[in-house]
Amino acid sequence: MENAVEVSELKKYYDDVKAVDGVTFTVETESIFGMLGPNGAGKTTTIETIIGLLEGTAGEIYVLGMETSEKISDVKKRIGVQLQDPSLFPRLTVGETLDLFAAFYPEPLSVQEAAEQVGLSSSLDGRINSLSGGQRHRLAVSLALISNGDIIFLDEPTTGLDPKARRDLWETIRNVRRNGSTVFMTTHYMDEAEKLCDELVIIDHGKIIATGSPDRLIEDNFPHQAVEFADPGLSPEDRNDLLGISASGGINFEENEGKVILYSEDVGKTVTDLIDYTRKLGIDLDNLKVRSATLDDVFLKLTGRAIENE
Amino acid sequence: MNRPKILYKMFVANAKEFFRDRASLFWMIAFPLIFTFIFGMVFSGNDEVVYSLGISVDKETPITKELVNQFDEIESFNVSTGEIAKELEELERGNRKMVLEIPGITREGVTGGKSSTVRLYYSQGEQETNRALISAIKEIFSGIEREVTGRAPLFQLEPEPLETRELTNFDYVMPGILAMALMQLGLFGVFQFMSLRENKVIRGLAVTPLPRDTFFESEVALRLIIAVIQTFLIILIGRTVFGVKILGSIPILIGLVVLGALTFVSMGYMIASFSRTLEGGRNLVQTVQFPMMFLSGIFFPIEFMPGYIRPIVKAIPLTYLGDALRQVMVGYPPEYSLSTDVYVLTGWFLASTFLAIRFWKWE
Ligand SMILES: Nc1ncnc2c1ncn2[C@@H]1O[C@H](COP(=O)(O)OP(=O)(O)OP(=O)(O)O)[C@@H](O)[C@H]1O
Ligand SMILES: [Mg+2]
Repeated sequence: MENAVEVSELKKYYDDVKAVDGVTFTVETESIFGMLGPNGAGKTTTIETIIGLLEGTAGEIYVLGMETSEKISDVKKRIGVQLQDPSLFPRLTVGETLDLFAAFYPEPLSVQEAAEQVGLSSSLDGRINSLSGGQRHRLAVSLALISNGDIIFLDEPTTGLDPKARRDLWETIRNVRRNGSTVFMTTHYMDEAEKLCDELVIIDHGKIIATGSPDRLIEDNFPHQAVEFADPGLSPEDRNDLLGISASGGINFEENEGKVILYSEDVGKTVTDLIDYTRKLGIDLDNLKVRSATLDDVFLKLTGRAIENE
Repeated sequence: MNRPKILYKMFVANAKEFFRDRASLFWMIAFPLIFTFIFGMVFSGNDEVVYSLGISVDKETPITKELVNQFDEIESFNVSTGEIAKELEELERGNRKMVLEIPGITREGVTGGKSSTVRLYYSQGEQETNRALISAIKEIFSGIEREVTGRAPLFQLEPEPLETRELTNFDYVMPGILAMALMQLGLFGVFQFMSLRENKVIRGLAVTPLPRDTFFESEVALRLIIAVIQTFLIILIGRTVFGVKILGSIPILIGLVVLGALTFVSMGYMIASFSRTLEGGRNLVQTVQFPMMFLSGIFFPIEFMPGYIRPIVKAIPLTYLGDALRQVMVGYPPEYSLSTDVYVLTGWFLASTFLAIRFWKWE
């Protein structure tokens, strides 16, 4: 079966900004594909170039087997899109807006169904300009869903939602996959990428720095566990010493959060060594924590800095 | 895909967006109607004018009594009598149009061939009215003279009033108000588009299969329907409240309304293509719309304007729309021929459509 999306060597340059700098990836059908990256990484630019809103500087894009530069109007009939900062007719109601968008697609969902999927059933009569930010955002997702398209593009679908709404939306997104469609989404939430996506690309400064399933990414980069503690103000020499202790996995300093993270295959030994070492220096160990590695760790390892959430 | 259905839904969405916006409703529907009422009340009142005439008689005699009666019987005169000093004072205040000072005329004096001097005081200015009044008054005196002397008049003038149409000032202005309404429809109407563009609503539509042509068709269809509503309402008020008779053919009128609306709608889009922001668009519209309104002769005839402005007047499309509508709606004497009006409007329509497309901005 053909892939949902194929992108090769896509570039999008603005005068002196390389927003997207040669990305290549494939999105399998009936999967949830995630593009993970910090602010300004190039996620929105990539997604908007794929759906034909922006014109790429170079590269090839196939959506549902169709070359987008030639077949964009055929493509649009078969995809649903939620843009990052969506705007709608301010004086229409939620129901009227859904009804309008439904008319654009060949086999849309019903207004009721689309509203229900994002929990807006009770707000159908509300005017757009009286909705809360979260409601407006959910409506935008719902407008992508109403297309009943083969691919649903979602640019940061859960940003600005409260935790409950976020979890509900994850369930909705899984439903889309269950019904045989593909989801292409961007996020800068590690936990979201980890729990929701089947396949991920991590993007930074317009370049893909890693690809794979979340488990795979973590496993490949970290066969270790993480030992974490608050940075007591270690000197560079101290840091070097610590490297000896943690041995195999390496060390990371998360400057912003004032944390030191040691990665290790033998956590027991590392923790004992660490305690001995700090005792010798006469410093206290605060917030000592042992955990398995996460995508945050992967990102930290790959870029040398933590992804910033908001 | 189902294009008519998309067009219909898009049209309904645009219409709701329009009719739920108080500002656009005001400018495009209420404002022209208010204008119609105001101009209607100011201009279309009964045209019969009554002049107040003061008469001061030095010494009352049967003949002077007869004279005063004669003037009193004429409907156009509102006669009051009094001391000459008092009457002149009233004249000065503007309460009298003219004052007659009649000496004590006796029958003996008249039959004896004695000439009496009647003084007529009036203020300068309004020369035409004055001249007309003076000759009317002279006529009354010579009528009395003939009566007294018994000489038969050589000529008999028989006034035969016919039912003809009298054009009032309101007849002139009403088509102008319609022209103004069509202009505002096009120039203010584009603000809706510009605000949707600025707020990226248009961008949001661009990711759907909605064809861009269809979006435009829905906008233009809405404008045309509003134009017809405006026409209907203005004519309705003009007819029922102020008794304006619509002479021309309705199909030609509708054709002109559509052409006028299209011209100004495309001028609106042209402005949208020249300015990126809503704010810039507003400024541009204001600089265009305001002079156009007053220099186009939709409210008063072009002859009233100083010569050096005429070239501007002649370039303004509103001039021709106003002229064409005046001819067709109320049969006002044309300034230009109807075909000239249509050609110029079509020219403006084509030129602004061309420029709008040439400099078009979706974002
Ligand atoms: N129109 C533009 N002109 C110039 N530079 C742009 C333009 N649009 C985006 N950029 C730059 O391109 C880079 C990528 O932007 P993009 O919006 O794709 O990032 P993103 O990953 O979506 O970020 P975020 O998480 O904040 O949404 C940024 O550095 C941005 O400043
Ligand atoms: Mg983005």
